[in-house]
Amino acid sequence: MSNESSNELVVNPAPHIHGSMTKDRMMQYTFIAILAVTIVSAVLWSDVVTPSGWNLGLTVAIGTLIAVGLAVAIDFLIGKVTSDSEVNTWSAAVFGLIVINCFTLGFPSMAMGMEVGVPVEAPLAFFYIALISIIGIVVFKKVASIAGRKLVNPAAAAKFLVLIPTTFTTLITSWHLSTGMLMVPSLAGPIGSPADGLGTAGNGYASFGAYLQGCFGSPNGTEASVESIMLLTKYHGWVGGASSIAVIIAGVALFVVGRKYFKWKITASYLIAMAATSLIFSFIFGDVDLITRLLFSLFAGSSIFLAFFMATDPATTPFSGTGQIIFGVGLAILTISIQTFMGFFGGSLLALLIMNLLVPVIDKVRINKPFGR
Amino acid sequence: MANLVHIPEVKDLARKTPIEIFPDPKIAVVLTNQQGGATNTPIIKVGDTVTIGEKIADAKERVSAPIHSPISGTVIKIENAYNSCFEAPTEAIYIENDGKKTKAKPLTSITEAELANTKNEDLLKIIREAGIIGLGGAGFPTSVKLAVPADKKIQHLLVNGAEGEPYDTADERIMIERTANLVRGVRVVRKLLGNPKVIIVTKESKVEAVPKLEEAFSKEPNTEVRAAHLTYQQGDAAMMQKAILGYETPAGKRSYEMGTIVQNVATINAIANAVFEGEPLISRVTTLNGDVPKPKNLQVKIGTPVKEILSANNVNLSTLSSVVVGGVLMGTALQTLDAPITKRTSSIICFAKDKAKQAQKTTACIHCGRCVSACPVRLQPVAIHNAVVKGNFELAGKLWANDCIACGTCSYVCPVRLPLSHNVKMAKQ
Repeated sequence: MSNESSNELVVNPAPHIHGSMTKDRMMQYTFIAILAVTIVSAVLWSDVVTPSGWNLGLTVAIGTLIAVGLAVAIDFLIGKVTSDSEVNTWSAAVFGLIVINCFTLGFPSMAMGMEVGVPVEAPLAFFYIALISIIGIVVFKKVASIAGRKLVNPAAAAKFLVLIPTTFTTLITSWHLSTGMLMVPSLAGPIGSPADGLGTAGNGYASFGAYLQGCFGSPNGTEASVESIMLLTKYHGWVGGASSIAVIIAGVALFVVGRKYFKWKITASYLIAMAATSLIFSFIFGDVDLITRLLFSLFAGSSIFLAFFMATDPATTPFSGTGQIIFGVGLAILTISIQTFMGFFGGSLLALLIMNLLVPVIDKVRINKPFGR
Repeated sequence: MANLVHIPEVKDLARKTPIEIFPDPKIAVVLTNQQGGATNTPIIKVGDTVTIGEKIADAKERVSAPIHSPISGTVIKIENAYNSCFEAPTEAIYIENDGKKTKAKPLTSITEAELANTKNEDLLKIIREAGIIGLGGAGFPTSVKLAVPADKKIQHLLVNGAEGEPYDTADERIMIERTANLVRGVRVVRKLLGNPKVIIVTKESKVEAVPKLEEAFSKEPNTEVRAAHLTYQQGDAAMMQKAILGYETPAGKRSYEMGTIVQNVATINAIANAVFEGEPLISRVTTLNGDVPKPKNLQVKIGTPVKEILSANNVNLSTLSSVVVGGVLMGTALQTLDAPITKRTSSIICFAKDKAKQAQKTTACIHCGRCVSACPVRLQPVAIHNAVVKGNFELAGKLWANDCIACGTCSYVCPVRLPLSHNVKMAKQ
């Protein structure tokens, strides 16, 4: 008996014990955090009905099922068919949640009754959500993983790829500004000045704050202050950004529970740099009202959700703490620059993709020397 | 330091268990090489009768430590046995116990009163002839380590009683039960080093040892007992100097060049036994812990097969998945239970077959960076790992793979269980 057991001894290299954190557990924590954000968004939006007659909360719920269901199913199928691909159910589920949460839904109250040609409504929205989920999981997750390292955030890349050629919702270009089609005021100038009666972009809004109210406020006509809209409830934009405070609570909870396994330094450095850059631009352009530009920079859905749940994607961000801070600051400066100078309101997504591609370079930057060097 | 990873101690049961003398083995398997440095050769032959404490293997070179017979009996064969110090089979002297417990003539020893007037070179000779090596796991000959060049002034002697490895409590029991012996051992080392300040470094979690040490060392000159809050990684000599004395030893410099010697408590205990009792190093205290019926601290003869210890302590061999000697983070998983106890076997930790543990397979790196933030010497384990996997050892060297202290923390924290520590060690070799 003893000889038998000797032969069966497991001989692994040291160390022989491991911590309790596993990849699956990280993904489970992330899933729960983002699911909480999604549920908050769906509940907040459940009292809005879009012109096509769809309840917005229900749209979010169905979109979530489509995105997550497709991602998990395709991940499972690819795992079955190909030998060199692992089945990562939790990772795929998190990806699906990010797809729905970075999708632009809702209906700006200012656009009620107007033709704006944006796929913000069900049932067309479901088609785009499905397409983003499929392309994201196949091309940017599975193929990229088999080929080597994932280079870009799969959800961001897929959304970019699907929506750029088909619509103009992701990037609202200067062209739109010049035609006044979506009535977006330019950020490259003094904003938030109610005194001139026209604001800065001349789009009929008294101020940038009023524009934000028109864009993100409740289409049911409920009046709310710019601060409460940006912090508590937005009715238009990224699904995951409907409530900034919900994102912050869920994100911080994830960082606390997951301790050092989540790249909170990116979120922190991004938000700080975002605030700083925003204030610097306010001074440069001579904004009367400093708070409005700041609120937009920090709490637009594409900013706050991205800061906590997309910019911290482990695979596409730097591994060292210093690298993560460089990444966060770079992302903030790039985002604001794109929004301001190129007139892209979807600048954060483009900025994220650019920063993702720079990660191999950032990973080579070495600031902390080893012990005793 | 902010980025040190806390690893659970798992010592509660074993630390309360007094040291128990384990019976002498029927056949001792004494490895001729257990030390760092030059290679020993047997100085006896098959058929010879040997006595307890008789020298049976030695080397001519200075950087070496001889091996002594742990029992009295007959040399029945000299052939390879699995050596956990080198993770490979090496030459071993098999001695069949005659049960007579015949003792060899003790080594030259001195009384405590004679210490002040004994020359350092004579003390070092006793330590060398007793076969003492670093019992904390490093295995470097102690007589060489303590022979500090005359032009180097040693300011601090750190007595390492941290015992950072989880499960291990042998050093802790030595500090509790053999405190007086440690006091006189420290006196020897202090004399050898020219009266440096002595700091007995232990952990605040060793609640029974701390007051004993404080009392025993209270009358010693220029000596302090420091019950610090230390993590596992700070049991490493360089990390301990940083934690206690506040400086980082420059890479490539030896500890004594910075005026500090770090010496493990088990080694100090062996020094006291050699210098004052004339006892060579033929036994050591080792912790039996993990999935065993009763965790214990055992005084075992070097050369006792591990299987004999496990069987005598009712460990069900058929349910074992692995047996690790010398610490669960830095130690070795035995290939065979016939492997004997060596001078470096600070513990024997058993792991039962566990489906949950086996299910944790290695998967692709998710680039979370946890190993980077966890590395106590600020390396980038995953980058070195990737270089080694690609066979690019030059890049691994540029990433300072040689600075690794092999603590295993990177592999411990890795959420996908990459063999990071192992591959960084490969890069070092």
